[in-house]
Amino acid sequence: MSRLALLAAVLCACPAGAATLEIQVRDAAGAPVADAAVYAVPASGPADARSARTVSIEQIEREFIPFVTVLQTGTPVAFPNRDPILHHVYSFSPAKPFEIKLYTGNSPEVVFDKPGVVTLGCNIHDWMIAYIVVVPTPHYGRTDAAGAARLRDLPAGGYEVRAYHPNQRAAAQPQTATLDSPAANARLAFAIDTTQRKARYKPPLDRAKY
Amino acid sequence: MEAATPADPPRGRRLRSLGARLVIFFVILLVLVQGLGAFLVIRANSQIARQTIDQELGQGERVFRQLLTQRQARLEQAAAILSADFAFRQAIATNNTGTIISVLRNHGARVGATVMTLVDLDRAVRADTRDEGLTGKPFVFPALVEQSASTGKASSTVLIDGHVQQLVVVPVLAPDPIAYVALGFEIDDGVARELNQLTGLEVSFMSRMRGTGWQIHSSTLAASLRGELIEAFAAPVAEPGGFRILELGGEDYESRTAPLAIDGGAEIVALLQKSLEVGLAPFRRISTSFFWLTLAGLALLVAGSLVIARSITRPVSKLAEAARRVKEGDYKRHVDVDQHDEIGELAVSFNHMLDGIESREREILRLAYEDGLTGLPNRAMFNTQLDQAIRTARRGGTQLSVLLFDMDRFKAINDTLGHPVGDQALREVGTRVRRVLRDSDIVARLGGDEFAVLLATGGSSSAPRVVADKILKGLEAPFVVDGQQMDIAASIGISTFPEHGADAPALLRAADVAMYDAKRSKVGYTVYDPTHDERRQEFLTLLGELRRAVESEELVLHYQPKMSLADDRVTAVEALVRWAHPTRGFIPPAEFIPFAEQTGYISAITRWVLGKAIDQCGRWHREGLNVRMCVNVSARDLRQEDTLVQYTWAALLAAEVPPGMLCLEVTESGLMEDPKSAQSTLRKLRDLGIETSIDDYGTGYSSLAYIKQLAVNELKIDRAFVSGMEADKRNAAIVRSTIELGHNLGLTVVAEGVETEHELAQLRHFGCDIAQGFHLGRPMSAEALEAWLAAARGRALGSRASALRSE
Repeated sequence: MSRLALLAAVLCACPAGAATLEIQVRDAAGAPVADAAVYAVPASGPADARSARTVSIEQIEREFIPFVTVLQTGTPVAFPNRDPILHHVYSFSPAKPFEIKLYTGNSPEVVFDKPGVVTLGCNIHDWMIAYIVVVPTPHYGRTDAAGAARLRDLPAGGYEVRAYHPNQRAAAQPQTATLDSPAANARLAFAIDTTQRKARYKPPLDRAKY
Repeated sequence: MEAATPADPPRGRRLRSLGARLVIFFVILLVLVQGLGAFLVIRANSQIARQTIDQELGQGERVFRQLLTQRQARLEQAAAILSADFAFRQAIATNNTGTIISVLRNHGARVGATVMTLVDLDRAVRADTRDEGLTGKPFVFPALVEQSASTGKASSTVLIDGHVQQLVVVPVLAPDPIAYVALGFEIDDGVARELNQLTGLEVSFMSRMRGTGWQIHSSTLAASLRGELIEAFAAPVAEPGGFRILELGGEDYESRTAPLAIDGGAEIVALLQKSLEVGLAPFRRISTSFFWLTLAGLALLVAGSLVIARSITRPVSKLAEAARRVKEGDYKRHVDVDQHDEIGELAVSFNHMLDGIESREREILRLAYEDGLTGLPNRAMFNTQLDQAIRTARRGGTQLSVLLFDMDRFKAINDTLGHPVGDQALREVGTRVRRVLRDSDIVARLGGDEFAVLLATGGSSSAPRVVADKILKGLEAPFVVDGQQMDIAASIGISTFPEHGADAPALLRAADVAMYDAKRSKVGYTVYDPTHDERRQEFLTLLGELRRAVESEELVLHYQPKMSLADDRVTAVEALVRWAHPTRGFIPPAEFIPFAEQTGYISAITRWVLGKAIDQCGRWHREGLNVRMCVNVSARDLRQEDTLVQYTWAALLAAEVPPGMLCLEVTESGLMEDPKSAQSTLRKLRDLGIETSIDDYGTGYSSLAYIKQLAVNELKIDRAFVSGMEADKRNAAIVRSTIELGHNLGLTVVAEGVETEHELAQLRHFGCDIAQGFHLGRPMSAEALEAWLAAARGRALGSRASALRSE
């Protein structure tokens, strides 16, 4: 109750049409959780991106960069291969199964047209993994090392705010936020129970033998 | 000897049994030791065998588990590779069940899996190669999925549809897990055989559901044994260490159960087995060798024991044989045992013993048949020789003689000069006699001073007399022993075979009789005369009768008055013994007293007489008749000094007779036989107050010096002088001088044998103190004497009156 009162007080202080939502994600122990996808779906309904710009998920040093990518439904994604070896990017996730067979350099773009989490893998490097969280809203963010994310320029209105992390044991309860004025700032805190991801064996790099 | 034989156990059997005992003992010993050895070896062998097999089984189990783990790892790897196959993942991602099943079958076949199941992340079966109906149902091994989710792989041995399977569960990664795939690899006979080849053990995989029996899924055992295995295995026998022996097809198998999995209701084990027969085979060979070794040892032992036993028993039986010969008196043959062991020592000792026994027996014989003093044969030897000689003489019809002799008065030599001197003298006698005899004659000392000579004359009957003469001559020369010179005379009795006796005792007795004759007649030697023997018989009879006479009061005492010539009063009586023989009538003392003295029986008679006389004296004394009682004692009585004195004294006390009322008379010749003891006895008697008198004085050639020393009160002149006074003046002179002599020595003089008035008158004239004789009064009984005394008193008065008248 006190939190709601506080939230109401904060929201009331924001200017209408340019509201900001500050979200802090912590784990069960209270430690900040980085790479959590946070997004706010307007009460008016989900929205696909129109003429969205291409997002890149690179392969550098036999790793996907970044580990977590959040993007709006309908966003095309390129998987440029910066390594001097071939990669074979694939996804068996129902949200977007695809594969880009062995290639190097630029890749064809893949449009993620369904919301959901897509797990990326490389068929020849089992340890390579990355996640694309496809959300039906333009208001999304990814927590930094401090577990904080800031969603800017949110039009005033009601939102359902969610947080997701690939290591989560269970999905965090969605929260609602109502932004009265464009200048209103709202703060939300999520607690996600995460597990420690086991790093899969990555053979050491032998440049001479690439 | 014959009688003893049946009591002895048969020698052969006893010795054999010694050998047999040896053999049996050693055989039993060997069998015991070897049996124990065999028992221990076999037990140790079987223990070692079992231990070895157990070790092998233990090792086999480790190898087996290692192999299973390796196989599992291989299967996991295969599964991991399979699950990572892109096409496989792509097919699964299609979410088309038909596709999924076909890809499962396809890829499962690649790695040889018999069962493949795809499990959703929510642990529900997505697809199964066996049964589509399982789709959507929960996966039956969720634990494996959990383990696989956390570690990337999981495997276990499980029972699926009655087959033992190694089930591997791996995630399907894209690259996060999108599903789990389970691959089942059946453990069939092939797998068991493979394990058997690597471990050398029989391998059986078995399972049972809770509440059901065991079931064999695969095994290296022949199909025929599997039924037995289930039966044997089902028996609830728990053995420590997880090992147990199962019998299959008649063979023992050491078995070890390796539990593989308990999942839900199913228990799966691997049974590892090794045949004990195979494991024990090397030990069986050792046991067999041991058995043959024992058998060979036994044979050698029996042979060896027999040899040893024989080497003991043979010399032992020789010794036993020798001992039997000893028993029969043969000491000559030594035991011939040529061994240098204990038996040999025994034989040597045995032979020494033989020598010892022989020499000792010789010594014993010598002692038994030889007289120790003279070295001559003894009586036993003499008797033997005599027997032998008699036999020879009887066969040859020849004669032989026995000369028996002893020394006259030898006792005096012993008594006065001592036994050592006597012994020396006897030795000298032996030597001298031996010297006068031929070598073929035998002289023996029969005992004491008695010697015997055996003459195997075969010739004239005068030969023994010649020899007797020679012997007497030989003894004539004085004997000098310890500087003492002495004369020794012998009396020889001669008897001759066959006329004087048919055997040794008869001959010896005859010679004995002859010897006594010789002694009596003092003629040196006498040849046996059968008439002498008759007298001797009479003599012996008389002795018996005399003995009886004393006991049965046939003897009686008569008393002869002794009259004092001073006043013509009877002052004393002499007690004289008479023998009222029941058949022969009255026997005068002269006929039995010398004989009693000769035989020593006189002591008994003296004692009887003393007792009677003192008793009578006492009676008279009490009646007021005071006459002294004179009793004769013999020289022999004087020698038994103490006996005589004590007895006399006791009798006096008993009869309450004053000692002075008793007078003991001893003949002069009796005194001279043993002057020393006579003197001592007389003194003792006189000291007691008893009167003593020398009887028959004048016959014993005693010297006055001697008489002077004697403690006597009275001298009795021998009757020969008294009764010869009228005929020969010289006798009267002797009587007269004797009376004077007696008076000079302070002795009372008695004349006995007074038979005439003339003699009496002469005696009065000579001053004789007391007279005794028929003229004055005959010996008479006590009653007669009493009467006589009463009459005499009257007569005395009368005579005195008439004397007065005549004067």
